[in-house]
Amino acid sequence: MTVVPATQTGGGGTSGLYDVLELVLDRGLVIDAFVRVSLVGIEILKIDVRVVVASVDTYLRFAEACNRLDLEAGKKARPGLPEMVGQVTESGARQKTKGALSGAAQTVQDAIGSVREKAEEAAAGARNTSRRAKAEAQEKRVKREEEQE
Amino acid sequence: MSTYVYGIARRAHKALPEGMEGIGDPPRPVRIVDEGELAAIVSDAPEGLRPKRSDLLAHQRVLSEAGAAGPVLPMRFGSIAPDDDAVRHVLQERAGHYDERLRALEGKVEYNVKAVHNEEAVLHRVMAENPEIRAMTEANRKAGGGSYEDRLRLGEMVVAALQTRESEDAVELQHTLEPVADAVSVGPESTGWVANVSFLVDRHSAEQFLTAVEEVRKAHPHLELRVNGPLPPYSFVEPGPSEPAEAAASATAE
Repeated sequence: MTVVPATQTGGGGTSGLYDVLELVLDRGLVIDAFVRVSLVGIEILKIDVRVVVASVDTYLRFAEACNRLDLEAGKKARPGLPEMVGQVTESGARQKTKGALSGAAQTVQDAIGSVREKAEEAAAGARNTSRRAKAEAQEKRVKREEEQE
Repeated sequence: MSTYVYGIARRAHKALPEGMEGIGDPPRPVRIVDEGELAAIVSDAPEGLRPKRSDLLAHQRVLSEAGAAGPVLPMRFGSIAPDDDAVRHVLQERAGHYDERLRALEGKVEYNVKAVHNEEAVLHRVMAENPEIRAMTEANRKAGGGSYEDRLRLGEMVVAALQTRESEDAVELQHTLEPVADAVSVGPESTGWVANVSFLVDRHSAEQFLTAVEEVRKAHPHLELRVNGPLPPYSFVEPGPSEPAEAAASATAE
């Protein structure tokens, strides 16, 4: 299986934008003789969203996730055997992981509300939610900027 | 009229993106301001510039275009000089430094790799690695989910195991890809990723790098990797920010 993992940037595609946004906004050369555009509000980028947060809610959620986990599939897969594990991941990737939001990510998402255009992506997988919450926060911020125009 | 600066290149750069559409609505045309051996890629700065999606994209597009034809030092989004003369002044004042950076980054591109855990796959892995968690899960299941305390205890152990896995995976990802990159810059922690690492890669060994990423992907099916590149070397324009790999790795492991 040959997968080209690189997102070609520069073509203006938006999927990679959220990942690249952070670089464009947070890195790159800064020259102190120049003024920088105010990024007030963009600070939402820096909200601390740990992937897995230690809290009672998270504990209970993961206990529940373990309870639902197909242990037999896990046993058969024997992590370490790449071809077998590959299958598990593929099926895992297809399955939606319900309630995959970590506590913090949930809070962020609640705070920023639902964002349009994300329904498709959300349907494609409820995993990686922390990252997505952040991407949505970014998008929302950028959108707000556009609306202010 | 203030001047928006996209990046700094050599005057001898083969294809400066002069006339390309820059930021703003309508897009301001990209101009070149040169001084000595250096050239700044600029345009007029629109009034009241804000970090809008279209402008971020325009910034990135101009730099990608310029970077494809020769080394460019990308500016962070939103850098505005009072006028062209101020840009010339900076180019003159710091000519030696920029020349050195341009030489260091010649033929190099940035690849940003972000990793998150696939929850189901990583839970399987944690189970496989940890008989105690597995036994407790089975006991809870037999007891119809287990008592509140049981679930709390199991969850706590799982979360601890996941957190350990997060840091181990971040270190391993970095160590695996480091040998095929020229430099590494670790992005800020705690931003929703297991790992967020930028690699400086020679344009000619990009394929080798991507192959290595693919190998990581195959060997760690519980990791979902997002690779973005080739990008202008945003994370490597200043000589400071890329920590030595060893220091970064041990810091993450602690």
